[in-house]
Amino acid sequence: MLPKDLLSLEDLHKEDMEEILARARFFKEREGKGDHSSLKGKNIVISFWEPSTRTRVSFELAARKLGARVIDYVPDAGSEAKDESIEDTIKTLTALGADALVFRYKLPGLLGKISTRVEMPLISGGEGCYQHPTQALLDLFTLQEERLSLRGLKVVMVGDILHSRVARSHFYALPAFGAELILVAPPVLLPLELVPPGAEYTFNLETALSRGDVIYLLRVQQERQGKGLLPSLSEYASLFGLNEKRLSLLKKEAVIMHPGPVNQGIEVSPGAISYLEAYQPDKLLLQKQVQNGVYIRMAVLDLLLGGRG
Amino acid sequence: MELLLKGGVLHDPAAGWNGPAEILIKQGKVEAVSTSLESIEAPVLDLTGKVILPGPIDMHVHLREPGGEGKETIATGAAAAVAGGFTAVACMPNTFPAVDSREIVSYVRKRAAETALAHVYPIGALTRGLKGREISLMWELAQEGVKGFSNDGIPLMDSGVMLRAMQYALLLDMPVISHAEDSCLSAGGVVHAGEHGYRLGLPTIPSSSEAVMVARDLLLQEEVGGKLHLAHLSCRQSVELVKWALEREIVLTAEVTPHHLFLTEQALEGFNTSAKVNPPLRSAADREALVKALGDGVIQVVATDHAPHMRLEKEEGLMDAPFGAVGLETALPLLWTLLVDKGLLTPLQLVEAISSFPARILNVPGGTLQKGSPADLVVIDPYREHTVEPREFYSKGKNTPFGGWTLKGLPVITMVGGDIKMWKGMVKGFSDEFPREEKTFFLEGIS
Repeated sequence: MLPKDLLSLEDLHKEDMEEILARARFFKEREGKGDHSSLKGKNIVISFWEPSTRTRVSFELAARKLGARVIDYVPDAGSEAKDESIEDTIKTLTALGADALVFRYKLPGLLGKISTRVEMPLISGGEGCYQHPTQALLDLFTLQEERLSLRGLKVVMVGDILHSRVARSHFYALPAFGAELILVAPPVLLPLELVPPGAEYTFNLETALSRGDVIYLLRVQQERQGKGLLPSLSEYASLFGLNEKRLSLLKKEAVIMHPGPVNQGIEVSPGAISYLEAYQPDKLLLQKQVQNGVYIRMAVLDLLLGGRG
Repeated sequence: MELLLKGGVLHDPAAGWNGPAEILIKQGKVEAVSTSLESIEAPVLDLTGKVILPGPIDMHVHLREPGGEGKETIATGAAAAVAGGFTAVACMPNTFPAVDSREIVSYVRKRAAETALAHVYPIGALTRGLKGREISLMWELAQEGVKGFSNDGIPLMDSGVMLRAMQYALLLDMPVISHAEDSCLSAGGVVHAGEHGYRLGLPTIPSSSEAVMVARDLLLQEEVGGKLHLAHLSCRQSVELVKWALEREIVLTAEVTPHHLFLTEQALEGFNTSAKVNPPLRSAADREALVKALGDGVIQVVATDHAPHMRLEKEEGLMDAPFGAVGLETALPLLWTLLVDKGLLTPLQLVEAISSFPARILNVPGGTLQKGSPADLVVIDPYREHTVEPREFYSKGKNTPFGGWTLKGLPVITMVGGDIKMWKGMVKGFSDEFPREEKTFFLEGIS
């Protein structure tokens, strides 16, 4: 039985994740074979307090495909609302008849607090540096399509682990399915207390690349440079970016993933992208991740709302 | 009021007393302490089965007045003190305005004299406006009655200013109470740089932000001498540094809060803002080191760092909520249940930490119940269990991480200057059920 809300993958058992993945597979297989309107008449509020295109649109498409009405509630640009007023807003939305809320917020913790005070399901669309559960689920889904089993799969995760909600969700997702994590980042972005039990870490990208079945590149936020965490992004790219030369280190079957949007020239060089697109397009799973995102979000909405009348 | 306390067990290390005692109180002072005062004619309070401790002095509280009366006032803070068994508190100077002028010291003392049920000892600002740039008018503040100096709450980054302040304090023979924090290392952080904080994706405060400043202050102290007191130590590195200093015979005292003794960063789970304190709750290894240091005498004092905040402020989420937890009304039961009752600290050691040492450091009366001492004491019930219910606090601040805990060692009588200020949880002037007539105490009894 799934919990009421989807805020953190820590709250889910492997069976829960499998249920969502199976539901997503069902939706993907039925694509184009008539409507599935299990959420007809439901009102789903999508409220993102942080810039986002793909995740927001992905949720919106998912909701519409299930027949739900979507209310896109966008706070006034530049409004620096306090938690308290956001809570009020959410109570108002509940009173107006919302059946679920998909929420993205820059700080962690607010969603958990609200979840105890409203009955409708809350779904995280990304919460501070804390969790981004649907991203990790769609990654699992995409990998399962590529590989029959994730057991023993070595996933090299490269980038700003410290500030990554995607990484934090994966700490509960990949290991649950038997995949092994190898974390790679400069020490300032990879505090050892963050490394989950059983995961490996290294500051040397090249040794890790040659071992990876999956190379998972995390987005490096431009503003990290301003905070003095990195001396320069070009230095980061030299040490931790995937470039043409490093492509030769990859295993033959290795695939490359990224939660998007990609900073070309930082996580991955334009040359490496062009090379892969031209010669090894199957290695790049980025588009598949985006497409599968819709089915995962359909599954989440369907399971969290459907079971509740 | 004259009265005779009978049947209780007294723990008074300064007097070398550790057992059943009868205590005669006359005109606000201890008139006699003996195993038997049979021949004395005085109203008797039977304390059979109870424990008597010399009045605990919480040498680290924030009473918020002036300027923060929405969070706490001197009156409500002192009511919380006596409710929790404390007969005196030392209040930190980070008010608005800060306690950095004669006028504000005198204002705090006047408000205390008018409204406080406990003794209130103001701590003066160590630097002007607590800005850390120049030392305050320390002599003037001392003349007006402060009992020590601190920059508590605002890290003092300029080591030159710290050195000069410590030198100046020598002249006054007063303690400098150091809030050890390197604000460049702690900047932006809200939780300990440990497993839980990182997992929750929150900006972190490393132990080094405290320990490097502890090291600095110890080295300065070795050069200067005088009285250095390290406030609210939170990590094992600080404990190791203090041990090193004590071995070098550097004169200092150090303090730990109940929340650092009994909680770890795990309390932050669920983004629990009542566990957001500065310095932050740290790892289990840190907590164990602090408990051990207190038992070994490396840390001498327990103080609460009582930091009341309004409910709405603490509901702002972990990133925005202010640091701090209230402590006055939970400290004694926590210490009794989790240290004394478990055999980690003897009752005498407890009294050293909450009464004797604070009195000595601040150079104030009390800390003992020898003949002639002020009749400041607390009676606790070492057996009966109760559940911490924040709504029932006398403090305006309900922000405790200990709500719902079941504890023993509840204070049942708090006496200040021979006058009963708290009786079975009811505080004089604050609770309608507080006995109107003295004779009720004797008729009703405590059991």
